[in-house]
Amino acid sequence: MKLHVENLWLRRSLSLLVLALLWEILSRAGIIDPFYAPAPSEILRVVFSLFAEGTILNHLEATFTAALSGLVIGLAIGILLGFAAALMPLLADVLEPVMMLLNAIPRVILAPLFVIWLGIELSSKIALAVVLVAVLIFFAVYSGIKDVNQLFVERVWTLGGGRMTLLREVYIPSVTAWVLSSLKVAVGFAFTGAVVGEFVAATRGLGYLLQFAQSTYNAALTLGLIFLIMSFVLLLFVCAELIEHRLLRWRYRGAKEKAAWQSAEKGV
Amino acid sequence: MLRVSDLALGYDAEPVVEGVSLEVSAGQFVSLVGPSGSGKTSILRAINGLLTPRSGQIELNGTRQSLGFLFQDDALLPWRTARENVALGLRIRRVSKNAALVEADDWLARLGLEGFGARYPHELSGGQRKRVAIAQVLALKPKLLLMDEPFASLDAIVRTRITQELLTWVEREHLSVLLVTHDLEEALTVSDIVYLLSQGPRARIRTSYPVPIPRPRDIFASRKDPAFTPLLERLWQDMFEEVSAPPAEIAR
Repeated sequence: MKLHVENLWLRRSLSLLVLALLWEILSRAGIIDPFYAPAPSEILRVVFSLFAEGTILNHLEATFTAALSGLVIGLAIGILLGFAAALMPLLADVLEPVMMLLNAIPRVILAPLFVIWLGIELSSKIALAVVLVAVLIFFAVYSGIKDVNQLFVERVWTLGGGRMTLLREVYIPSVTAWVLSSLKVAVGFAFTGAVVGEFVAATRGLGYLLQFAQSTYNAALTLGLIFLIMSFVLLLFVCAELIEHRLLRWRYRGAKEKAAWQSAEKGV
Repeated sequence: MLRVSDLALGYDAEPVVEGVSLEVSAGQFVSLVGPSGSGKTSILRAINGLLTPRSGQIELNGTRQSLGFLFQDDALLPWRTARENVALGLRIRRVSKNAALVEADDWLARLGLEGFGARYPHELSGGQRKRVAIAQVLALKPKLLLMDEPFASLDAIVRTRITQELLTWVEREHLSVLLVTHDLEEALTVSDIVYLLSQGPRARIRTSYPVPIPRPRDIFASRKDPAFTPLLERLWQDMFEEVSAPPAEIAR
């Protein structure tokens, strides 16, 4: 099993390396126009120079502040509203259609509105990230509570537990699993909100830089920034996964051994 | 210990049982059998307060705390270890965390699960999970055990072992039990009295069968008792009649 996983990562890394190498060769040979798709070495050079000159740090700070603030506030609002709606049917009647509407539309269209309302500084980017994350988490919590296994509820009730015990022993752990499963998507959403907000109107941030790169037809900078954003989101994905594995260790512990044992039983 | 009088239950407009009366005395093992859908589980749920009766009375000698409920599914919380699951009921009854965990370990050991306390339910076999569920209920020292086909999902060997262990425990501790089961042989081997429910809807108690097999019982030896086979044949005959009878609703 371990060998299989290692092979999988090796295969993925090798595929990416081969693709980058092919791109480099085709670009240097002039088959791919470097104006539209500069060679990977050129993209890396641009990224390194951004860090070497230190100009990127101010933009990174803006994007990270907007994304992480949006993530935290969005998580808090989503969890709070999700719980409230699931426990108060009257509130659910009001909230559910609003959230469904917000979920159905591409929420990034709200970016210009937030700029008008909150200005071009950080708050409009945070607001967009908050809306993107909060709607996602609201449904994770709301559905999580509604779909809680009734057997667990009855089990705790027959053991003598009341509402608080049910909340602590059944609803919160059950919803935590749902929220943590959505955390990786939420991280991506928070960055989308921050970058799109900056792209629409800003004075700093990776989205602002992207907008600048696009207006100057600087493909190397554009691809470099895309590469940077993807790297940071991937890094946060890994962090989110670590948190998920830590908090949901009951789900993951022994899972590998069990899978290996079941495979061995089947003679696979 | 428990007296159910003229109980009527239903879901929405659908009647399930009507006029059901039964009794479980202190230290008595009672089984409830009947065709599928006759409302056996609903009766247990009503006794336990999980279902509100339409009419009738449920009199319990003691509080809700004197009841223990063993579900068909083990219903262990997947995010709690075996010992934490067993300790849960004790914690609800305000036993301190450490004392509850020590007692949980003790109960797991009594049920042959020493060293398994730190495992999560998915890391245990079906039989081990069932033992944890039994430990969880017995740790609360119930006076009356309600069991809804608790061992139906287990394979025959594990099922036989756990049934015998539980029977021995019940006899030693003089617990009262109300068991719901599809298995007529199991009902006769463990019970002092078996109630047969009629075909639903509007199921009623059709007949009760006192089982004169002496205690303490061994589930294999009980089957060799002279009273066992005639009782089983009668029970099967009555059950066949019920299953082939038109539903009460149509008959009316």
